[in-house]
Amino acid sequence: MVEVIDHDVVIVGSGLAGLRAAAELLSTNRGEGLSLAVVSKLALMRSHSVAAEGGTAAVLYPEEGDSLELHAWDTIKGSDFLADQDSVWKFVTLCPEEMRQLERWGMPWSRKPDGRIAQRPFGGHSYDRATFAQDKVGFFEMRTLYDKLQEYGGWARYEETFVTSLVIGDGMFTGCTAIDMKHGKFVYLRARACVIATGGAGQLWKFTATSVSTTGDGIGLAYRAGLPVEDMEFMQFHPTGLIPTGILITEGARGEGGHLLNSKGERFMERYAPSKMELSPRDVVSRSIMKEIAEGRGFKDEDSGLSYVSLDLRHLGREKIDSKLPFIKELSMKFVGIDPVEDPIPIKPTAHYTMGGIPVNDSGRVLDENMREVKGLWAAGETACVSIHGANRLGSNSTAECLVYGRLVGRDILAFLSSQAAGSPETVSQDVAKEEARIFDGLMKNEKADEDVYAIKARLKEVMDRSVYVFRERAGLADAVREVRDLKERFKGVRVADGGRLFNYNLQDVLEVGVMLELAEVVAQGALNRTESRGGHSRLDFPQRDDASWLKHTLARRAEGGPQFSFAPVRITMWKPVERKY
Amino acid sequence: MAKTTRFKSGLLSSLIPFGFNVERWGYVVHRVTGVILIGYLAAHLFETFQLSLGPGAWANTMAALHSLGPLEMVGLWLVAGSALYHGANGIRLVLNEMFGMLMGKPIMPVYPYSPTSLGRNQKIAVWTITAVVLVLWLWAGLYLLAGLGVV
Amino acid sequence: MDKITMEVVRSDGNKTRYDLKFRKGMTVLDALIEVREKQDPTLAYRHSCRMGICGSCGMNIQGMPRLACQTQVSSLGKETVRVEPLHGMHVIKDLVVDIDPFLAMHTFVKPYLIRQDLKERDRSDREYRVLSEEVERFLQFDYCIMCALCYSACPTVALDPYYLGPQAIGQAYRYMADPRDEGWEQRVDLLDEAQGVWRCHVAGSCSLVCPKDVDPAKAVQMARMEILKKRVLRKRAKAGSPLVSVAPAAAPKQGTKAPPFDFRREGT
Repeated sequence: MVEVIDHDVVIVGSGLAGLRAAAELLSTNRGEGLSLAVVSKLALMRSHSVAAEGGTAAVLYPEEGDSLELHAWDTIKGSDFLADQDSVWKFVTLCPEEMRQLERWGMPWSRKPDGRIAQRPFGGHSYDRATFAQDKVGFFEMRTLYDKLQEYGGWARYEETFVTSLVIGDGMFTGCTAIDMKHGKFVYLRARACVIATGGAGQLWKFTATSVSTTGDGIGLAYRAGLPVEDMEFMQFHPTGLIPTGILITEGARGEGGHLLNSKGERFMERYAPSKMELSPRDVVSRSIMKEIAEGRGFKDEDSGLSYVSLDLRHLGREKIDSKLPFIKELSMKFVGIDPVEDPIPIKPTAHYTMGGIPVNDSGRVLDENMREVKGLWAAGETACVSIHGANRLGSNSTAECLVYGRLVGRDILAFLSSQAAGSPETVSQDVAKEEARIFDGLMKNEKADEDVYAIKARLKEVMDRSVYVFRERAGLADAVREVRDLKERFKGVRVADGGRLFNYNLQDVLEVGVMLELAEVVAQGALNRTESRGGHSRLDFPQRDDASWLKHTLARRAEGGPQFSFAPVRITMWKPVERKY
Repeated sequence: MAKTTRFKSGLLSSLIPFGFNVERWGYVVHRVTGVILIGYLAAHLFETFQLSLGPGAWANTMAALHSLGPLEMVGLWLVAGSALYHGANGIRLVLNEMFGMLMGKPIMPVYPYSPTSLGRNQKIAVWTITAVVLVLWLWAGLYLLAGLGVV
Repeated sequence: MDKITMEVVRSDGNKTRYDLKFRKGMTVLDALIEVREKQDPTLAYRHSCRMGICGSCGMNIQGMPRLACQTQVSSLGKETVRVEPLHGMHVIKDLVVDIDPFLAMHTFVKPYLIRQDLKERDRSDREYRVLSEEVERFLQFDYCIMCALCYSACPTVALDPYYLGPQAIGQAYRYMADPRDEGWEQRVDLLDEAQGVWRCHVAGSCSLVCPKDVDPAKAVQMARMEILKKRVLRKRAKAGSPLVSVAPAAAPKQGTKAPPFDFRREGT
């Protein structure tokens, strides 16, 4: 039985982008006349955005030497020239307002001595423009936005509600099906507008900084609905992930002056990026670390078998660490028992940010394979690919993107709703019944099922870690594609061991792994196709960037025999691509 | 929603807080002694009221009380201890609650965490009170035993 | 030790025992994940970030409310680990409890910046001047990850389900102490109730179990002092922070084309 619930707007995902969109929708006219639903598979304030640590980039002080052009140039050069430059320009002009708007809503930014908002250096930026709040910027931004939403009544929260599919008919969004975990019900959320803001797909890898919840659900929703996904082969590996879990150690540690040392005690970044050193963009640093490890100058952790290098913060002194990097100290003491004031921290590149995602235009409207807008559907944040980050994202640009696009999407939806008369609700599409049958009859009552979903998940993560990591090459990638296809076959016989309805995490795991396998195939195949190295995608067999053949975005659509690839041009309006040296 | 139960709420688990801080045990004793003192107040009012009913009623009440034997002194000893503890701890609570003393100031938390409200000043106050109350209580016990003619 | 036993209290109130091999650095959450993946897929518990910042995995471990993701099994010192759902809240399934009353208490205390002039508050071209010392007066209480451990540990909450709880009062104080807030009077009125601040008798268990050192016991007492200031000392609310005009010089309007870039700056 399906329960049908009607709203005007449904926001799927409650991270920074989702909550910012909700805040924009509710703060205009105090949300009167608007029926809003925020849906998340966790409680609203538990989204992975709370783990963001370093900072949010914005040109707050142009009178002191920063400029919007410089921010745009840094972003575009950092993206290895794959970013769409007009969108980047729009983005950098809107960042400063977002910082100040959040400050008005109660955000405890760290301050300069005169009381103005402080900023610190960050990787890849030519000016110290990372606005920070100690070293828990994502956490404080989420707290501020969540608290702001408490001011408004009349909006619905659907927490622990797992959205399983989008229902799109005639190029228009009509609703989404979801499982209400708290009550064990299958619901159909019907709405005139939907925002997908569910984050990236970091959990495809075993060594990752992302939460267990970051399984690419939103990207999978669009992919399974027949929409294309863009640039999925570009995955950012953040250089400093704590051994052995992959937990993030912020780039701010390097911004405050931390050094990266190999087993000989040298600052090896001198060899790879002599001018920016540790503050080069993340892909450059990650590649440098992996090269050092490959050439035998790394350490090895006996218990987990992982190789690593050191992040040295000892010279910063106790006071600086306690005031500017307290969370790092807590993480490293809690999880590896190391006090950063006394000893260096063991780190290795960790899967962190998905540059790719659902293709959108620069108002956040989702685009189909012909680059036409899908009516009623938006995407924002890490899930979306505008593309602002191109092949590599600069640190502190993602939290900024989430805020800017949360707001743009909110505004665009209001314009859309006021221009469309509310039609009478149509009959519930047949797709809803089909989806219910797929899950509750197909997956849960599969007679011949005998595969263990957790074994499949573990194997997938191992394959991705081994072959689709910082450095890739043809044989490994072809192997990965083959293995993922194999796992997809095995997945057809997966068994849902928990037959209950209430809080059936086993069923949720099965649904998540189904999506993860599809996205892994897109990532691996896309990486195999792209015969060049650009940004976060580095091929050992094609080490140069190839603008002649590969200055384009990859689009992948779901088809019977695997993803179907097509390409879209990069919009170059300001600067032609040059060699990327730091 | 499926049938849910409030897990282990209520009197028992909150009154016997194994593994918790000393202030929490203090909270339990404070509540228990408060109940004892209210009981004593009621009993005392009842006993003294008998005076107004004439010398016969008073004599009966006193006889009933003395027939308890040593239990009467034990009971009074418990009441004495309750009053001492409840009063002394009450002063500490007034300092905490009404004047914000012994709590510390808002700080920037530094790992490993140690909340200032359970810090050194608070602990000194708690243990000083405990020591003083114990000493006075023992003295009250000796006083009562002297009254029994034992000491 | 090389073997541990997880003793988990399930939905029906009975304990189920799971034997696991011990790995160095294993947390209680790691053990529970292994149980669900290898032994019993019906075990329900919440978790997400596994680094102690999202607040999902609160549960009672060896009798104390803790976050499972940051509790090392070796630190518990025993081979049998007793895991129960958080006390004081309704159990929905296994280790998953109902935190809706807890969230409702938080919403009740108006945990957002209140200012009289809403238009001026929602401007985004300039910021309030706030000194670091002023931020320090409330920052500690802003560390709250809403894990509900304090709410579960509080004896008053256990005895009185309508008590606001340490988290809600702590968050109310966080906003009262924020120099940008002008809702002091409103919050004093909200907290000055029988089931508001006055129920607290400083058991201090909230501060003991808080994983982020928010020290809610301190926040509650400081909130009390604010109420006394208003009711007894008849103090008025303090004025808000002055504005600093930091409108950026000559910011281009949105939509204009970017001026040509000086390539000599390339290589910076």
